[in-house]
Order: sequence, then structure tokens, then C-alpha cells
Amino acid sequence: MFDSVEEVQKRLLDQSYIAGKKIATVVYLASKLNKPVLVEGPAGVGKTELAKVVAAAIGRKLIRLQCYEGLDESKALYEWEYSKQLLYTQMLRDKISDVIAGTKTLKEASERIAAQDDVFFSERFIVARPLLKAITSADPVLLLIDEVDKSDPEFEAFLLEVLSDYTVSVPEVGTIQAKHIPMVFLTSNDAREMTDALKRRCLHLHIDFPSQEEEIRILELKVPGIGDRLVQDIVELVQRIRKLDLKKTPSISETLDWARALMVLNADALDIEMVNDTMSVILKHQGDIAKAQSELNALLQKKAAEKAAEKAQPAPAPAAPAAPVAKKSVLH
Amino acid sequence: MEKKIVEFTNLLRKAGVRVSVAESLDAFNAIDEMPLEDRELFKDALRTTMVKRGDDIDTYDRLFDLFWSGFHDQLQNELKQALGGMPGEFDLERLLEQLRDLLENMDIDLSELAKALLSMDANALEQLIQQAGEEAEVGNIRNMLQIGFFSRRMIEQMNMEGAAGELKTLMDRLREEGMDEERIAELEALLKAVQEAARRAVRQFTERELDKQNHDYIERFRRESLLEKSFYNLTEEDLRRLREVVQRLAQKLKSVITMRRKRERRGKFDLKTTMRKNMAHGGVPFELVFKQRKKEKPKLVVLCDISSSVANVSRFFLQFIFSLQDCFTKVRSFVFVAELGEVSQLFRDRDIFDAIDLALDGGEVINPYTRSNFGMAFHVFWRDYLSAIDSRTTVVVIGDARNNYNDPRAWCLREVHSKAKSVIWINPEAPGAWGFGDSVMDKYLPYTDVAEECRNLKQLTRLVDKLVL
Repeated sequence: MFDSVEEVQKRLLDQSYIAGKKIATVVYLASKLNKPVLVEGPAGVGKTELAKVVAAAIGRKLIRLQCYEGLDESKALYEWEYSKQLLYTQMLRDKISDVIAGTKTLKEASERIAAQDDVFFSERFIVARPLLKAITSADPVLLLIDEVDKSDPEFEAFLLEVLSDYTVSVPEVGTIQAKHIPMVFLTSNDAREMTDALKRRCLHLHIDFPSQEEEIRILELKVPGIGDRLVQDIVELVQRIRKLDLKKTPSISETLDWARALMVLNADALDIEMVNDTMSVILKHQGDIAKAQSELNALLQKKAAEKAAEKAQPAPAPAAPAAPVAKKSVLH
Repeated sequence: MEKKIVEFTNLLRKAGVRVSVAESLDAFNAIDEMPLEDRELFKDALRTTMVKRGDDIDTYDRLFDLFWSGFHDQLQNELKQALGGMPGEFDLERLLEQLRDLLENMDIDLSELAKALLSMDANALEQLIQQAGEEAEVGNIRNMLQIGFFSRRMIEQMNMEGAAGELKTLMDRLREEGMDEERIAELEALLKAVQEAARRAVRQFTERELDKQNHDYIERFRRESLLEKSFYNLTEEDLRRLREVVQRLAQKLKSVITMRRKRERRGKFDLKTTMRKNMAHGGVPFELVFKQRKKEKPKLVVLCDISSSVANVSRFFLQFIFSLQDCFTKVRSFVFVAELGEVSQLFRDRDIFDAIDLALDGGEVINPYTRSNFGMAFHVFWRDYLSAIDSRTTVVVIGDARNNYNDPRAWCLREVHSKAKSVIWINPEAPGAWGFGDSVMDKYLPYTDVAEECRNLKQLTRLVDKLVL
């Protein structure tokens, strides 16, 4: 799949995903060792996104299993399709009479029916849920088990079988072996510590919020045409807000949303008014906004002072080219 | 390499990072796939296969740097410094070239060490030092005072003196060959500096070895004793570490509890729901539904003595309880010394550690700087909060029952006991001391269902485990 760590980085970059060396190393090893990857980290650092872009980079179909409390076998692995079985028994009623025709006793009749058991408990009547689908798929796929920490501890037990042997046992049918070993990503927000048994079977990757430089690169990649000045301002502010003790820390995707929002509003640098108006894009709790406000004002005042100093000197050539593009897109 | 990784795995284990055999095998497979020249990649590859908990990453980073040397860098630094001491126009490359030619023509047998010193080969030198370290059993070093001893032993093992002699002979031979006197003086100075550097490097090697040993020694010591350490004498550092331990224990307990609850669940056949659910199949009961017998979650009322003698027990108990909040239907918490006040609100508004600190400081509802009076506290509770108790409530009292010779008013506790599901008393004193001096534990004892000593985390964990079931 990949030949080197650098290649992983390059191909993920082609999918507009900036992967640090740590991330790339783990992805590379996962592809080489055929091991699932457990990705942990705070919400909104691009854990799910990583699985998606890896799927795109290696050209595999993505099968996603979203975990939640109460998720069980029938939703994750497989389920018998009762109504279809019922329908078949109805339609095959005549045939069934044929089968039991000529039997004398009830016992004999049920023996005959029992011999036909496997008609009704065959793969025909199994509805494959994501895990089984990933295993039986004709083409190799990438399986994403999202927010696995939200599931119940029992669910982990099902996962163990799937992840270590890539098999699923259906009691009535037998063990179904994987046609191709899927690449597996599990993501977790650390709401609950996963069991050691699960961790042992996975490679572990911890993704944290990006550093200032990385976040600037991400913004420049994802929001083309954004001015340097604005990127700097946004990232600096978001990084500082993350350090505060908030109910919900702004994620990367929220930074992106905010950058796009500010582009639409034709900002080329942050000012207090504009920030106050658009704050709700990155902070989703009233309490958080109040807390961030003071941090904001301090930063913006510092910026204003810098700007004033800059104006006093001969102004450098304005980074204009980006702005008209932005204006245009607003008009549409 | 394999040996080094096994050693490193052991080091991690000693420091409390859990690494299974399967995981170290993964590590072997992983490095087979990686180019080893890149230190960062190597580090990441080992981490992703062996370290699976976010909390352990710091320990890993520290140990990695300690173990995968940096010793090489140190050695190179030393050699560079030795070179730096030489006069400015000194040309090492040319000198080495000349030497090599000369050596080829002369048939002098040099030892490995002498060769390494002469060519300033950091790799070879490192290998020799490692070897000597193993032979001198530096791994047995236990304290600072042994550094000198083990360094000397290693230097002997490497036969540094011998190498110095060989080099001297070499210089003499060079002189005979008619080499420029100035050149030789330069060379001698350089070799002296390099030998010094090698000696220093050996010393550093022993020091590092000591660091390694110490590191796991300290960690091990801490981990073992923290669980058993009495709550009476905790340092700031202990408190911080205990907080982490409690968090981990609570987490563990929680998953055990949910599993226990689930196991309780399957109950009688539920006809009504089954019929409703199977309407879709024409009333043929394909899917059977069973009633779920729910295990009752306990309701909890906690009375915490926050006088200094008991504060730490209260602290960790509260941390446990509020980390396990979803295992209880409702938790109300009160603090007392003489007066009694409710602090449940604090835990709703703040994060758990702030809330605990505040609560232990009186929580703005009571004055913590008085003398303990259990009688009064129970009386206030009986008067104002008896309605908080019903037949599903478990009352937990944390206190040493040292009543300063006040009236114990045990009848208040009797009233509470008669209304509650159970009363549990957690006492940091040993049962032998109950009822002696100003302790009125014996008066309260008849009205408790469980009364236990709890002086350290181990006992506390056991208690909490009993409580939530």
C-alpha cells in the first residue's frame, strides 16, 4: 500500500490532510503489520477524518460503524431477517407440504423439517451489519469504528474476535472468514478507558490539537485564498482560547468554519467587533464565550497597538490579491 | 538490537507501563518494517506498538531518551570538544589520512580501543564502552558512591592503559619514520584529549546507568507504598499522585460495576412486549423479549468530617463517589466539623477537584475552624435533612468520632438508621482505638450496619466497591 512513511505523508497531503510524522508512522505500520489502529484524542482533532482520508488515499471503500450506548450484536455484526424468513415459509408452504408428505407421525415430520433447517438459517437470511460487511466484502475495505468508547464493555468482546482473527461466528452458519483483511481504525474520545485486551490488539495513536504552525498550514490548505494576516490572527487566538478552561474547546473543524465565515465577511484581519459577532462559530457555550472575552480583548488590543505602530512606518505592500477573490465569492 | 528492545520493555514494565508479550512482538515486527536510521520514526514505531495509554506517554518519552541513549550524542560531543581544544588550522581529515597510510605500511598491531581512539570513531568507541559496561556489571550500581568504582572497573576492563601504551609506541615509531616533530606534538595532544574524553564518557555511562536503576527503583517504591500509605501523612506530591491513582481505580471499578449490572439483567419472559414487537411478523413470535430486572442503583447521602485529622479520607472518598456518579441515582453530600452544611451544589457547578478543595474548606456553608462535635452535627442533620433519607438511601459517615467530650446524641443517628437502607461508617482509626479517650465510636456503633477502618487507599477501594454493589 505504502512504501515509506514519507509516502504516507505525501499521499495524505494529496487528500488535503496534513499528517505529522507520528500519524504517518502509525498509518504506515498499520498497513504493513495488518493491525487495527486505535486513535485517541480530544474531540475535533481529525480522528475520523484520518480514517476517511486514508481510505481515499489507498482507494478503499469506507465502512463506518458509529458506536453508541446500547449498540449490540444485531446492529454491529449481523441480524436474522425474520420477516423474510417468514415470507419464505409462507411462499414455500406447498413445498413444505411436499417435504412432509407421506410422513406418519409428528416426529417423523419434524425430522424431515429439521433436515431442511439450513435453508432458513443460511447466509441468505442474514442482514450484514458493518462488521460483517467489512469482512465479507469482495474488495478490500477500510473499516471505521467510530467513538468506540461510547459502546458498552460487552461490545468490546465482539470486537476482539473480529479484530484479532478477522472472523465472525454465526452460531447457525459457522465461522465466516474474511475474504480480505480490512484495514481498521477505531476512534475514541477517552470517555471510557478501553480494556487492555482491546488495546493489546491495536496500534495506538494519540492525536492532540495541532501546534500553531501546523494549524496555520491546515488553514492555508483547507481555506484557499485566505490572507496571511487573517490566518495568523485566527490561529493565534484559537490557540490561546484552547488553553483556557472551557466546557468545550474549539476543534480544528470549528477553526476552519470560523475562517470561512470571516472570509465571507471580507475580513483581512481580526477586529473586536467582528470577533464578537462571529464568536459563536467557535464557542458553543455562553459561559465559555464570557470566559474567552477577556482573553480576546487583551490579544486584540495588542494587535491594534502593533497595527498602529506599523502604520506609523511606511506601510508594506498590502497582501491584496486574496481579498478580491473573497469579495467575488460573496457576491455569488 | 533484539536484546536492547527486550531490556527496554523490561524497563517500561518496571516503571508501571503495561507491555504484554504480544505487544513487544509487535514492536519487533514494526521495527523490521522501519528504516532504523531515523530516531524519531523508531521512537514512534515503538510507542505505537507498546504504549497504549495516553497517561503513559510521558513516562515512555522520558525512558526512551534515557535508554536509547543520547549516550551516543554525549560521546560525540565529548569527542568534538576534544577536537575543539586543538589549534585553529588543525586539519583532522588530512592527519587521519596520513596516519592511515602510515599504519598500512608499518605493521603495528593495535587493539580495538587504540584504533577507535586514533580514528575518533564514536560508533566503535560506544560499542567498546557498552561491552565493558556489561562485563563490569554496571547494571548492579545502586548509589552515587559507586560511580567511581564502576567507572574504574570499566576502564580496566577496556584496558585503557594498554591502549595508551600502544599509542605511545606508535608515536615513537612515527618519530623514527621521520615524521615532522610539530605534527607529532599535535597528534600527541589530540590523543591525550581523546583519551580524556573517553574516560569522561565512561563516567557518564555509569551515571546514566545509575539514573536508569534509580528511576525504576523510585517508581516501584512509590507505586507499592501509595496504596498502603496512611492518609495521615501525605505530602503534596503524594496527594497529586494519589489523585491520579484514585481516578484510575474509579474508572476500573466503573466498568466492573456496569458489567455486574448487565449480568443481573435477564429476567422473566415479557409477553406483552413480545407480542407487540412481533406484530410485524404476523404475530409469530420470532423475537422473544425478557423483562429486565433492574438492579437498583443506590441513593447516597455522604456526611464528611472535614477536620484536619480526617480530611484526606473525605477527600478521596468524595473523589471516588463523584467519579462514579452514574452508579448512583442521587448523591447528596454534607460536610461538618461542629456545624453541618450541604455542599451538593458545589459538585454540580464546578469541576470535581475544585469542588472537593472548596468542600474541605467548609464550602462556604460552615466554619471549619472549630472543634469536632459529632453530636451537634448529627442533630442538625436530623433536624434539617431527615427528609433526604428514604428506604433506598445509604448513609455514609466519614469521621473518627472524636467528640471532644461533647454529648454524642447517638439517638439522632438511631433515627437516621431506622429510616435509611443502611448506615456505613468509615473511620480512619483502627478498631482498637474506638471508644477510648474522647472517641464515642462505641456509642454510634449499634446504629451502623457496617463500620470499617480506612486508613489507606487499599481499604478505601474495597469499601467503595462494597458500597456500589
